[in-house]
Amino acid sequence: MRNLIAFLQRFRIFLVFAVLQILALSWYVTYLSFPRNQFLTTNNNIAIQVLEWEHDLTKHFNLSKNNTQLQWENIYWRKRQPKFMYQLSRGKVKINDTIFEQQYTYIPAEVINSSVDRRNNYFTLNVGSAQGIKRGMGVFCQEGVVGVIHYASKHYSLVKTVLTSDINIDVNIHMKKSDLPGLLKWDGRDARYGMITGINNDLRIKKWSKVETRGGSGIFPKGIPVGKVSFTEPIEGQALWKVEIRFTADYRRLQRVYVIKNLHLAEQTALEARIPEDD
Amino acid sequence: MNVVYKHIIRFFVFVFLQALVFNQLNIGFGIHLMVQPLFIMLLPFELTVIPLMGIAFLMGLVIDIFSNTYGLNTSALVLMAYLRPIVFKFYGPREGYDPLKEPTSQDMGSNWFSVVYAILLGLHTFWFFLLEIFEIGRLGFILQKSILSGGLSFLLALLIQSFILNSKQKK
Repeated sequence: MRNLIAFLQRFRIFLVFAVLQILALSWYVTYLSFPRNQFLTTNNNIAIQVLEWEHDLTKHFNLSKNNTQLQWENIYWRKRQPKFMYQLSRGKVKINDTIFEQQYTYIPAEVINSSVDRRNNYFTLNVGSAQGIKRGMGVFCQEGVVGVIHYASKHYSLVKTVLTSDINIDVNIHMKKSDLPGLLKWDGRDARYGMITGINNDLRIKKWSKVETRGGSGIFPKGIPVGKVSFTEPIEGQALWKVEIRFTADYRRLQRVYVIKNLHLAEQTALEARIPEDD
Repeated sequence: MNVVYKHIIRFFVFVFLQALVFNQLNIGFGIHLMVQPLFIMLLPFELTVIPLMGIAFLMGLVIDIFSNTYGLNTSALVLMAYLRPIVFKFYGPREGYDPLKEPTSQDMGSNWFSVVYAILLGLHTFWFFLLEIFEIGRLGFILQKSILSGGLSFLLALLIQSFILNSKQKK
């Protein structure tokens, strides 16, 4: 026993050294297998706090470079954002039924450019021939009729709206109650009011009676609202009413529209081409 | 100023220097600057080896916590503390060290300081990288890291020494 104590006395420095080394090295060797040792890393509260102070101080050093990087990353993601992308395939829904066959399909679109104060007003839509848009298709919005596709490029299309003074666009309409047919015109003054021609003045027209599309030409389905009669006056020297209507749709702030695709249009035009020419 | 307070303050200064400045520097070439051996070096002469190793252990623990090295610094610092009296004895004057003096280049001369600190720092650094890499096949890499890091740390220590020296001369 005395020998042991003497041995410990003699080698106590080396023993302390060995114990400390074993402590340190066992910590080093076993840090992976014992999670409790994670406390003795920067994971603990004090060290984290100190390193946060340090970070608060030094995080601005690379600010300019980091901003540039973030900007590039923003561009990268912005390019991939569906919101900013051009959609090639719009939701065209077609329903198959044995009793009712679907005649119209609709392509949603957005008005990206518009004017209402010209003599002939055109809207630009963000859909084009890539979505199946063709010249002559009807365009309407939730509140009412908008116009007819005038020209379709690959990704965009131009709508000749009902706010057109020239007689290129013929929207067949009728009174909802009395079924009086007529044609929609615009006098080029006010985007809120349109005109109807072709109604004989022997018939009575109620004020505020609803006007909607008739669905004869195959461009618009029947029943799309157009407006309400706001003013009637007989035209001098003609047996016709001058009918002024107020559009239900506000074209000055139009955003979302639908393009109508008539699935029977080819059939209808082929049939109507058989009408003898001499008639 | 009391010697104990002075060294306690020095302890914190060196820990923060190492953790917040030199651990964050990425110089390249595998260079890892270390200032904490200088703290062990500058502890007074009359401190015996067992308290010295205790202080070294504590210092290494704190440095390890801040640099996520899991006992590497502790082991290297304890080794250095264990070897310090031996090296001191080997290079010391025949009549022993003057207890009023400190192991700085100012008190003991830059020659003595350079030799002793170079030996201790070299052993510390070599032990550190030997444990860190722990692969005999990459001995060349260990030596490269030790020499580069040790050399730069040595220059850094001289720089810090000169700062301490200047502040003392002003007083």
